[in-house]
Amino acid sequence: MAQINYRTINVDAFDPDSSVNFPMDSLLPATLPAPSNASEAANVATQVRQVLRSGDAEGALRYVLDTAPLAGDDRAKEVHMATVVDVLQGIRQGEMTRVLDAVCTGEGGSERADCLMKYLYKGMGGSQAPGSGTQTPKTPGSPQLSGGFTQIQARNFGEGGSAQQMSVLLSWHEKLVEVAGMGTVMRVMTDRRTV
Amino acid sequence: MAAPEVHHLFHNPIADHSFSSDKSTLAVARDTNVELYQRGGSKFSLTDELKGHEKTVTGVDIAPNSGRIVTCSQDRNAYVWERTPAGWKPTLVLLRINRAATFVRWSPSEQKFAVGSGARVIAVCYFEEENDWWISKHLKKPIRSTITTLAWHPNSVLLAAGSTDSHARVLSGYIKGVDQRPEPSGWGERLPFNTICGEFLNDSAGWIQSVGFSPSGNALAFSGHDSSITVVYPSAPEQPPRAMLNITTPLLPFNSLIWNGETEIIAAGHDCEPYRFRGDESGWQLAGPLEHKAGPGAGSVREESALNMFRQMDLKGQTQADTQLKTTHQNTINTTRVYEEAGGAVRKFSTSGVDGRVVIWTV
Repeated sequence: MAQINYRTINVDAFDPDSSVNFPMDSLLPATLPAPSNASEAANVATQVRQVLRSGDAEGALRYVLDTAPLAGDDRAKEVHMATVVDVLQGIRQGEMTRVLDAVCTGEGGSERADCLMKYLYKGMGGSQAPGSGTQTPKTPGSPQLSGGFTQIQARNFGEGGSAQQMSVLLSWHEKLVEVAGMGTVMRVMTDRRTV
Repeated sequence: MAAPEVHHLFHNPIADHSFSSDKSTLAVARDTNVELYQRGGSKFSLTDELKGHEKTVTGVDIAPNSGRIVTCSQDRNAYVWERTPAGWKPTLVLLRINRAATFVRWSPSEQKFAVGSGARVIAVCYFEEENDWWISKHLKKPIRSTITTLAWHPNSVLLAAGSTDSHARVLSGYIKGVDQRPEPSGWGERLPFNTICGEFLNDSAGWIQSVGFSPSGNALAFSGHDSSITVVYPSAPEQPPRAMLNITTPLLPFNSLIWNGETEIIAAGHDCEPYRFRGDESGWQLAGPLEHKAGPGAGSVREESALNMFRQMDLKGQTQADTQLKTTHQNTINTTRVYEEAGGAVRKFSTSGVDGRVVIWTV
């Protein structure tokens, strides 16, 4: 008979009323866009880079935030994350406020601000370099954690190029809070449409 | 706008407060007790304490006509307090819940009250004459997490509930023999107990902190921990709502909201001051704060002596300790309630919060 170490069994998983078994899908709104995959995200990335090369940083940021794969798979999200970071790094410090003012106002402006804030927190929190997204095995039904919320994942200790990326994200964060307020930070924490 | 009337009662958080209908009595939940204050001139002074709960009191509500007080607490109990010549007499209500009670409100008819709880149920309680006993019936079905807040529809049958599963729901709390059959409305026509008349989730899905029906009962507003307010206009029973408008704000989340007429909402929360929202079915906007802030907040009479200056430099390495907020409340606002109204339009409302203040505002 197989030896079972009963003390290592997670008893909460067997209790249907336990918060561990909370149906996280029930927090996704009906307005969620259709699922997408990595190749679609790669197509978007190509287009965004074209816009960026043509010198329209504002248009590139607007486009990349409007096409965020909120219902995409992990791979699509990683590819898109890399695209967003490219766009953010391609905009000079002095331009930030002007670009943000333009992108975060008007029709859909507050959604774009919320979306950008999600990417900033994901970029600052997760050390998962694109292509190594298998650090936390996800069991079906477990909370869909985006990089920013868990303390378990390995941290980025700012070596080499990533330190520079951190400082770019931090200065974007500062500017975005000035433009769009603390409410966007709150919505990063509550929103289950992760990026 | 007249200056707000500030009553700094103590240095503890106030979980909930309630005024009697003549506004002479103020009940506040403080730790495990409920304290009753009487108005004398411009001040409120402590006159009575309702002791009986063993854990933190989470809700208190005074029925405007009968004067009965209902309280609920984390000890899983609710008491109905009645005034007798010998003092306030508590009656225990068997809620049959195995988690903390989180929120309590009398229905407008005062025949019933509803208690939200961490046990994922709402206990709707009514008095049974035969047994001289408060009975509770549970609203259970679609609730997936703790109930944080409740609000009654003016018809005393429908109940709005906000939960930590990020849904705001409208449920029927119809009790046969106690309630009149309600008029059909956009929420539903036949409303037996536990009918689900609506279940709403906004895009950014925060815990729901406050819900409220408009004075006519034909619209529902709820605020969530995602710093937004959502207003729902129902169309017809079993149909999706006519309009569901979500107003995201750049502010911190709102813990409590009240309607002022059909076109204005006043909400307050972690920004420590009330804000106005205006709009109708075609759209809602944040109209700005209610408070005119000039200089440091109320109750901050700063000592400006040389002695004080050197003392500050010695203690803190700075001459001015900037620890005062510019708002009247010095901490999060937990509860907002209508204080005085005429035909659905609010003239005055009261707020209480973590700073131990109760403030009466003139709109």
